[in-house]
Amino acid sequence: MNQDEKLSIIKDILLTDEREFASSIEKKIKILESTVNERKNLSTKVDPIINKKLQQFIKEIPDTLGPSITEALKEEIKHSKDSVVEALFPILGQMVKRYVQHEMKLLSENINNQINKTFSFKRLFRKAKSRASGIEESDLIIQDQTNAKIEQVIIIEKGSGIVLAKYSKTKMADEDMVAGMLTAIKSFVEDAFKKEEQDLQYIEYDLYHIHLQNFSSFYIAVVVSGVYNIIYKDKLEDQILKFVNEKSVIKNLNNKTKLTTKLEAFFKNDNI
Amino acid sequence: MITSKKIVLIGHFGVGKTSLIRRFVENTFSEDYKVTIGVHISKKTIEISDNKTSVSLVIWDLEGQDDIKKTRTSYLLGTHGFIYVFDLSRPETFKNLKSELSFLSENYKNIPVKVVGNKVDLVNKAYLTQHTGTFKPLVEFFVSAKTGSRVESLFSKLARELF
Ligand SMILES: Nc1nc2c(ncn2[C@@H]2O[C@H](COP(=O)(O)OP(=O)(O)O)[C@@H](O)[C@H]2O)c(=O)[nH]1
Ligand SMILES: [Mg+2]
Repeated sequence: MNQDEKLSIIKDILLTDEREFASSIEKKIKILESTVNERKNLSTKVDPIINKKLQQFIKEIPDTLGPSITEALKEEIKHSKDSVVEALFPILGQMVKRYVQHEMKLLSENINNQINKTFSFKRLFRKAKSRASGIEESDLIIQDQTNAKIEQVIIIEKGSGIVLAKYSKTKMADEDMVAGMLTAIKSFVEDAFKKEEQDLQYIEYDLYHIHLQNFSSFYIAVVVSGVYNIIYKDKLEDQILKFVNEKSVIKNLNNKTKLTTKLEAFFKNDNI
Repeated sequence: MITSKKIVLIGHFGVGKTSLIRRFVENTFSEDYKVTIGVHISKKTIEISDNKTSVSLVIWDLEGQDDIKKTRTSYLLGTHGFIYVFDLSRPETFKNLKSELSFLSENYKNIPVKVVGNKVDLVNKAYLTQHTGTFKPLVEFFVSAKTGSRVESLFSKLARELF
């Protein structure tokens, strides 16, 4: 190899590198261009940074702004306790309700996880029931566990306590006397805590829970055994409303036979 | 299907309302709650022979108010028939009969009221004749919870009228 040849090789090597370097730089610039120009692309890059800053800011609020806000609130509460209580009351009620619902949801999720780990005939049956009834399987399990069961449903005329219709799954005490007793207790309690439109909604009797749902000229008493909780109460309320609305109960209040048939057909499957 | 009617017994303390109901109904309801709320509920189904049908009487026994106007009015709501009881042996329980009955007829229009003198076993014919001025147009039955005299006919007459 002579001197010229050697030089040519070196040149080749050097220039190739240079060309490749140039083209790679060009590529990078293009990417950068597109990143900056396209909002979406930019935000994926920038947002994490902003978020990080924001998190830090939030973390620091208690130390920086906190004391002055707390001080202002304290002052405000001191001067108007009543209005604060008034303002908080419904929110607290909601919060408690939501908390309970949340806890129940967690429970139900836990149970759902459990289901997926175990297999049994009971589960198969429940799955079928869930599909057929459209009720979440976890709710069915809660039902299994708490075993809330409708024992008796009575439609009762307000005031007189006369039974307009009844359905009982198990042989219970005489419905006329139960209805009379419930009506008397209801009147007594409502008189005793006389506030406008305050209806007695629940009585515990022996091992039974008696759910009372009020309508204008009548009320419906549902005797429930097992655990009567907020979820069950909610569903029961919905079912009763559904029953009254869909089965034209109000139109049939004076037809004991027809009302009884409707009542039985609706509640015999216990699909609460 | 059997129709039910609400019957309320009222009258002074000790005239024998509870005894009358006991005599008429064997089927009494648990007494547990009565002390606290002042009502005792019983039921008896009777046949009305004339039309071969039955009526269930749901009977409300209100505890110890001497003044009818002080009775918890919510207990009287929807009543189909009243039985007003007084004690034949104690004139103070029937001396204001007229005004006490007018309270009922004013506030519960068109609802039948049976006016009943109880403890007839304690008085004699002469005594009844002596007070006949007070009893005459109003009182429909002289009964005795003790002997059972005319108790059945009182309730069945009311039941027939309500049907
Ligand atoms: N001799 C007699 N005593 C009676 C009769 N009915 C009730 N008594 C008595 O009268 C008292 C009061 O009776 P009760 O039924 O408690 O009266 P209430 O307060 O109206 O319910 C009791 O001691 C009964 O035994 C009756 O027909 N004859
Ligand atoms: Mg009594």
